[in-house]
Amino acid sequence: MGLAFLTPAFLLGLFAVAVPVLVHLVQRQRRDAVPFPSLMFLQRIPIRETRRRRVRHPLLLAARCLGVLLLAVAFARPLLPDATRVATPLAGAREVVLLLDRSYSMGHGDRWPRALMAARQVIDGLGEEDHASLLAFGGTVEEVVASTSDRARLRGALEAVRLGAGPTRYAPALKAAQERLQATPRPRHEVVLVSDFQKVGWQDEGPEDLRLPEATTFNPVDVAGSDFDNTAVAGVVLGREYASGRERITVSARLVHKGRALRRDLAVSLEMDGRAVETRTLTLEPNASATVAFGPVALPPATTRASVRAAVDALPQDDAFHFLIAPGREVSVLVLEAGGARPQASLFVRRALEIGDRPRFRVEVKPLGALRAEDLASRAAVVLNDTALPPATAGHLLRSFVERGGGLLAALGDRGGAGAGAFWSPSAPIDRGEGSGGTLAFLDYTHPVFEAFKGPRGGDFTSARFLRYRGLKDESSWRILARFDDGTVALAEQPLGRGRLMVWTATLDTLWSDLPLKPVFLPFVHQLMKHVAAYAPPPPWREVGQVLDVAEEASSGDGPAAEVRVVMPSGRTLRVPASGEGRFLTLEEAGFFELRRGAEPTGRPVAVNVDVRESDLSVLNHEEVAAALTRGPEGRERRATVDRDATPEESQSRQAWSWRLLVLALALLTTEAWVANRLSRVGSVGQPNEGAAP
Amino acid sequence: MNQADLVKPGRFLDPKVLARISDLELLARTVVDGFVSGLHRSPYLGHSMDFAEHRGYAPGDDIRRLDWRVYARTDRYYVKEFEADSNADFTLVLDVSRSMSFGSEGLTKLDYARILAACLAYFARAQRDRVGFAAFDTELVSYVPPSAKHLPAVLHAIDRLAAGRPGQLAGPLLQVAEASRRRGLVVLVSDLYQDPEVVLAAVSSLGRRRSDVIVFHVLDPAEVHFPYDAAQPFEDLESGERMSVVPEAIREEYRRLVEAHVASLRRLLGESRIDYTLLETSQPLDLALFAYLTWRQRLDRVR
Repeated sequence: MGLAFLTPAFLLGLFAVAVPVLVHLVQRQRRDAVPFPSLMFLQRIPIRETRRRRVRHPLLLAARCLGVLLLAVAFARPLLPDATRVATPLAGAREVVLLLDRSYSMGHGDRWPRALMAARQVIDGLGEEDHASLLAFGGTVEEVVASTSDRARLRGALEAVRLGAGPTRYAPALKAAQERLQATPRPRHEVVLVSDFQKVGWQDEGPEDLRLPEATTFNPVDVAGSDFDNTAVAGVVLGREYASGRERITVSARLVHKGRALRRDLAVSLEMDGRAVETRTLTLEPNASATVAFGPVALPPATTRASVRAAVDALPQDDAFHFLIAPGREVSVLVLEAGGARPQASLFVRRALEIGDRPRFRVEVKPLGALRAEDLASRAAVVLNDTALPPATAGHLLRSFVERGGGLLAALGDRGGAGAGAFWSPSAPIDRGEGSGGTLAFLDYTHPVFEAFKGPRGGDFTSARFLRYRGLKDESSWRILARFDDGTVALAEQPLGRGRLMVWTATLDTLWSDLPLKPVFLPFVHQLMKHVAAYAPPPPWREVGQVLDVAEEASSGDGPAAEVRVVMPSGRTLRVPASGEGRFLTLEEAGFFELRRGAEPTGRPVAVNVDVRESDLSVLNHEEVAAALTRGPEGRERRATVDRDATPEESQSRQAWSWRLLVLALALLTTEAWVANRLSRVGSVGQPNEGAAP
Repeated sequence: MNQADLVKPGRFLDPKVLARISDLELLARTVVDGFVSGLHRSPYLGHSMDFAEHRGYAPGDDIRRLDWRVYARTDRYYVKEFEADSNADFTLVLDVSRSMSFGSEGLTKLDYARILAACLAYFARAQRDRVGFAAFDTELVSYVPPSAKHLPAVLHAIDRLAAGRPGQLAGPLLQVAEASRRRGLVVLVSDLYQDPEVVLAAVSSLGRRRSDVIVFHVLDPAEVHFPYDAAQPFEDLESGERMSVVPEAIREEYRRLVEAHVASLRRLLGESRIDYTLLETSQPLDLALFAYLTWRQRLDRVR
């Protein structure tokens, strides 16, 4: 194969090589003239023309001419003979890896049918000795059919492949193809990628990070077409408010429109339990986004399935956004005081917890001696506020409560050290009243209690002064979350059963410290109680591809279920064991899942949405992908392997010689300009210097 | 002993330093006094009304020159002799054409010519010569007739000089010659950018009334040595014409032409008994002053 040019007309630019020479010969001096008293003698010297034509810097002139020549050749797009093509086997059995993109963006228009048709053609084109494997991929890769020469099996498996709801990730699929090609004994390798070549598919790992084995033909089949318009409901924001003692929720949906067309009168509806509650219309500009705010809705007593739906377009998968609306979960806290405690011993902690609604705390204060088992039912946390260690009965109740998953916070005061240390071993009170008092010197900002305060101006704990506090005798079994400036433990945590135990070694009133008077006290108590009570509101929605712990999601106060039936959005039902590794379920569909314990007719819903990043249908030039994937190990362009029957134009587009020549020409001309400039700066006697004309 | 031996080079102030003195009279006095004080011998005695010697009266002597005081003391007749007091015209003719505004090292040829003219005028007046002044480019732009009282006017005229238009010699010099009524000395200061024959014809007109003529050919060192390196256009200061030049290639040829021009001027003017002195603006002023003194010496011999 000889040297050819795709756009040979640009070779006419070779005549431009004469330009630097002509410029040199006929150039006019454009620099400032040197004033001279008289040209009388200069005009008598008959050497003006001939001397100017003398080349002073032949290398510079040669560089200019070469730069022009390279530019002309680069624009002519040379098609160089491919040395590696000889090394590529032209005969023998093929190992074909067929990668079929089934991400939900393939549901746009007629992409999926076209993709299936292209895959069928690949299968039909297999020779008798050729082998092929079929891999379907989205966010993950599934080997539909391992390497086989059975075309009927391949066709049957292809028909069984369904469009998924996941995003596009090319890297795992290409790596899987790479592994299969490396293991095959067949001499000819081919990768066929049937996809819409979305740009978002390369977000984590670009094509330049991947490389197919040597002598592999990469054959991209682009089914994206020319329609890239798409509107998606990208997400919702749920705002809660309390009005007239009732909790209301306000839904705001964000819509994103990608494309060049104007989307007029787009209807967007809020549905709750499958019933449209409110519909709004809006107009979306090209490549714009908008927010639709629906009116407030009174929260139903039970968890409600809700969706925001936009009018269906060419890609219906992202036209609805599903979520759950549940009443705000209250955190019930029981504060236990010692009998005969100070009237205001629990005032500060109670008042602090009564403020705020994210979450709402329901606080009840009781003396420790009046504790009954029913007092702990449906409690999330218990605070032992400056009481002696619980007596045997109460202690047993509390231990049982914590082991079942409850939370216990002990605030130690004068009475906190009395009794046998069933849960903790407090030290004697440390008196810091003589000086300015003790301060909190260490806070574990990685812990959820203090994580909210790690930002700048996130809360000043150092301003609080502690006149007395206790410590813990056995620190080793505790996770220390805070210490005073003398190293004494201020806050410690210990798991106990399914619950957790926390100890605050000072009082929660103003008897031992002024912390309750500081602004940081309220958020501190809130964070503390949320952690003790293991408060974690369930997410209103999840995303396709996430893994769900079915056993945990389906558990209730009645204990874990033996088996969970998962009713999927498509209507299929899965039986998932409630224990062991099998209890994890990968969410592969968008919509509402329902987790039913045992034989229950209804279950707990889980809302799942598609990854909205996939809604961006912007494409990556598959020729660039091909060029990157088939690059040689030294970064050398290996060959135009995209298509064995590729035309010179297609092959040329997959190689980079033109760019290299362009870069070389620019580098040459830049260097020439720099050198010429340097030469021109070689000064003459007391005069401005002239450029180094060659 | 030649002139160069009498006054060592660099004895006088550098022209570039002199150019900073704005008062021309002060400048001229500084230079001339310094020059005179450097003369250790008397062959270049200046002429003034100063007494020279007594000699015995001889029949035919003018009795007005008898020294009656000596007669009263000695009862003999003595004639009082003075140094020559010619009252000769000393006319400075200065070229103020545009080409005189050239200067490669800060000092233009016109600056140099102005200093030179001021010094010569001051020196001449100190010798009791009648000082006159003319400036020209294509025509006469300033003229102060010679007079014993015109030194301030001459210095003032010199001070106001500015180069402007292209120049030519023939017309203006003829005008100066026609305005001159007495024999004397005409000093021409110019860069003489014309053919030697044309220069000779023009300068010769100054000697019509048997006046002596001294030509000071003032050139900048860059005009003589052509030190340029970079190829660049050169623009004629007078005509505005431009010409691209590769100095490296033509330097030697240029220098040869300048030397030939100077040699031709020296030869032609010498043959016409016109003193010619080439001055580079980097040189001190002593050469010019010596040229003037040489002429005065010649005048002494005439008395």
